[in-house]
Amino acid sequence: MEERFDYRLKFSKKGRAVYISHLDLMRTMQRAFKRAGLPIWYTQGFNPHAYIMFPLALSLGVVGECEVMDVALTKEIPFDEVKSSLNEALPTGLEIISVKEPMNEHKSIAKSEYEIVISGDANKTSFERFIEREKIEVKKLTKKKKEKVIDLKPYTEISELRDTSSGIYIKVLLPSGCETNINPGVLLDAFAEFSGADIQSKIRRTKILMANGKEFC
Amino acid sequence: MYKEKIEKILPSVQRPARYIGGEHGSVVKDKSKVEVRFAFCFPDTYDVGMSHLGMKILYGLKNAREEFWCERVFQPEADFEAKMREEGILLYGLESLDPIKDFDFIGFTLQYELSFTNVLNMLDLAGVPLRAADRGEDYPIVLGGGPCVCNPEPLADFFDLFILGEGEEVNLELMDLYNSMKKQGSTKQEFLREAAKIEGIYVPAFYEVLYNEDNTIKSCEPIYDDVPRKVKKRVIKDFNSVYYPKDFVVPFTQIVHDRAVVEVLRGCIRGCRFCQAGFIYRPFREKDVATITQSTKDLCSNTGYEEVSLSSLSTSDHTQINNLLEELVDYTKDEHISLSLPSLRVDNFSEEVLEKVKTVRKSGLTFAPEAGTQRLRDVINKNVTEEEIMRSCQIAFEGGYTSVKLYFMLGLPTETLEDIEGMANTAQKIIDLFYSIPKEKREKGGVTVSISCATFVPKPFTPFEFEPQATREEVEERQKHLLDCLKTKKIRASWHDYNISLLEAALARGDRRLSAVIEEAWRRGCKMDSWNEYFKPEIWWQVFEDLGIDPEFYACRRREYTEIMPWDHLDYLVSKRFFVRENKLAHQAVTTPNCKEKCSGCGIKKECGGVYCGRKV
Repeated sequence: MEERFDYRLKFSKKGRAVYISHLDLMRTMQRAFKRAGLPIWYTQGFNPHAYIMFPLALSLGVVGECEVMDVALTKEIPFDEVKSSLNEALPTGLEIISVKEPMNEHKSIAKSEYEIVISGDANKTSFERFIEREKIEVKKLTKKKKEKVIDLKPYTEISELRDTSSGIYIKVLLPSGCETNINPGVLLDAFAEFSGADIQSKIRRTKILMANGKEFC
Repeated sequence: MYKEKIEKILPSVQRPARYIGGEHGSVVKDKSKVEVRFAFCFPDTYDVGMSHLGMKILYGLKNAREEFWCERVFQPEADFEAKMREEGILLYGLESLDPIKDFDFIGFTLQYELSFTNVLNMLDLAGVPLRAADRGEDYPIVLGGGPCVCNPEPLADFFDLFILGEGEEVNLELMDLYNSMKKQGSTKQEFLREAAKIEGIYVPAFYEVLYNEDNTIKSCEPIYDDVPRKVKKRVIKDFNSVYYPKDFVVPFTQIVHDRAVVEVLRGCIRGCRFCQAGFIYRPFREKDVATITQSTKDLCSNTGYEEVSLSSLSTSDHTQINNLLEELVDYTKDEHISLSLPSLRVDNFSEEVLEKVKTVRKSGLTFAPEAGTQRLRDVINKNVTEEEIMRSCQIAFEGGYTSVKLYFMLGLPTETLEDIEGMANTAQKIIDLFYSIPKEKREKGGVTVSISCATFVPKPFTPFEFEPQATREEVEERQKHLLDCLKTKKIRASWHDYNISLLEAALARGDRRLSAVIEEAWRRGCKMDSWNEYFKPEIWWQVFEDLGIDPEFYACRRREYTEIMPWDHLDYLVSKRFFVRENKLAHQAVTTPNCKEKCSGCGIKKECGGVYCGRKV
């Protein structure tokens, strides 16, 4: 069995790259490692595949500033070298910020911080009216494709809310990870429905946090 | 600004990564430093177009020149097109995201007839008038290349010029000429006049076509003295050193052929009488093992692909096939790369070759006997015998294969019901062969054979260009007969919709009067005709009827050897005399040896660089 060396990479996903889907990102990364000449460790077994893992998916169209990817290589390569050679091979919009040893377990991920700018026919006051209700009920599809009503209210922790020249600026914490996962798009769709306004939004994930409030990576 | 408009609609469409560029290998230049901008349009979706090798070659070739910028453009899927039209977004290049209306050239690759309506749709989506005559000085030059250009007449009204044959040299010559004339302030007319003097460039507006009362062509003559009476296709004479990209644009989303592709040879030695590719890409030329191996290494390391495929009309015809495979298998094995070899022929499918492929990948086995009996195979000059198929299957079954796919054509010249029975018999013999192999030497679980029948479409520049296509009734009768001949569920048969084949046949051998039909069909909603879910035959046939044009006149009529064909002013270097001779031999069921065995004097000159041209026995 080939020796394996584990790495945790923090990367950003911006610009044209925000339209790369989760599945496509896997392939894109795999090819970038190959171009960079970084020897990926393959899982052993009947159908070996490259060991690359993303603990948390990012929705299509959302900018990620702190995305995480775990990868295993067959050689021990200095962190700096992994970072620089991979950055040379990645398409524009994807950039490795840091390379470390994996520390925390994937299941320790609890929340994500998002910065959202809503433009269009809405302002701070209308958003406040929406968010200050007793309950914010939305329909969500479960994994078994069943519709289920959930209340977003207890999950939504807003830390900043103000009007800016480009629209409403919101900083919000939402649950992430395998237990409960709430996509900010769900919140925005609910707002659009509530206000009946034609809105556009730009979303950035700025932090991935553990239950203790510390950054995952 | 355009980028923002595009980004606004991206979140609401399927797989938006196809519409925003930014892939590895895509070339972005500073437009203020670029002199000629070229929109390379593939008239089908991103997934199909991005799989096309010709585009990869010409994209790299043009972008290697500092002063040129070539961008990719595809037909958007229905959801994205609807949004574009709604938001007033004009068709744009994936690299700059600028509307292609402002480019110097809009070039289409014409790979199959059923993409013709997409050409019109894309021009319209780009905000460019469809007809060349309606496009003034401010609009780009619209040009076409690719195999369908061997009879571009049905599209003549829409294009400023066509490029005949291989594009590596002539594209650059054309762009250089344009660049220098643009600097001198020449008009489009002046440019086209000069361009028509370049070998391989055909400007349809410079030729006048007259018709006889029976609707056949009376004459097709140039209207200027300095325009060639016959336009010759271009051939790359030194094929081993022709430009080949060292890197590809690597898509984010999965496309049809998502892998590195290395071209090993061009042309074909076989001369199957139905096969247009076998004649229009002549002569047979190949690259050295060292060149191919180097290309493979360059492409795999630069793209990061883990699969590489060899491209050719018949890979096993490479004179050094065993050496080549040895080199490639060694390299790909070490690098975790899988090697796939499409286009292997039955007749030289050696145990050795199979052994090499086996170490790489075990997939289904595909044969193309094309016809069900030896007699009919002799008619079409498909020099494959049943013994060869059986021998290959035997090796394959013992090597662990359990499914076989057979490609046949239905409606071939001289075909009878006996030939149809032959298809079923061949499939049955393969099944019997499988069970005759001792159990311990074959896989468990049995064998399946699938028969896939395409309706024969007579094509220009083949010995069958004179032949009628079988009528709907004939084809349906034969399809039914095939089903009646099948005795086991282990054999499955499938075929194409006759409507598609009839339309393809009419467009393939049509003349300029079909421009009106194509335009009207598009106006009534036809596009993406090669996609079953979009193809609307009832609209097409209604348009033909409304315009008083009979598709069967083009598709199902036997043409005299002396009839002037719509493409007779185009010269693909294989002579008409040869096609007539081959047609006569076909009707006598007499075969013609392949180029390797003996030169049959097809008309291609030795100077074109063919490996076997002029070879005597």
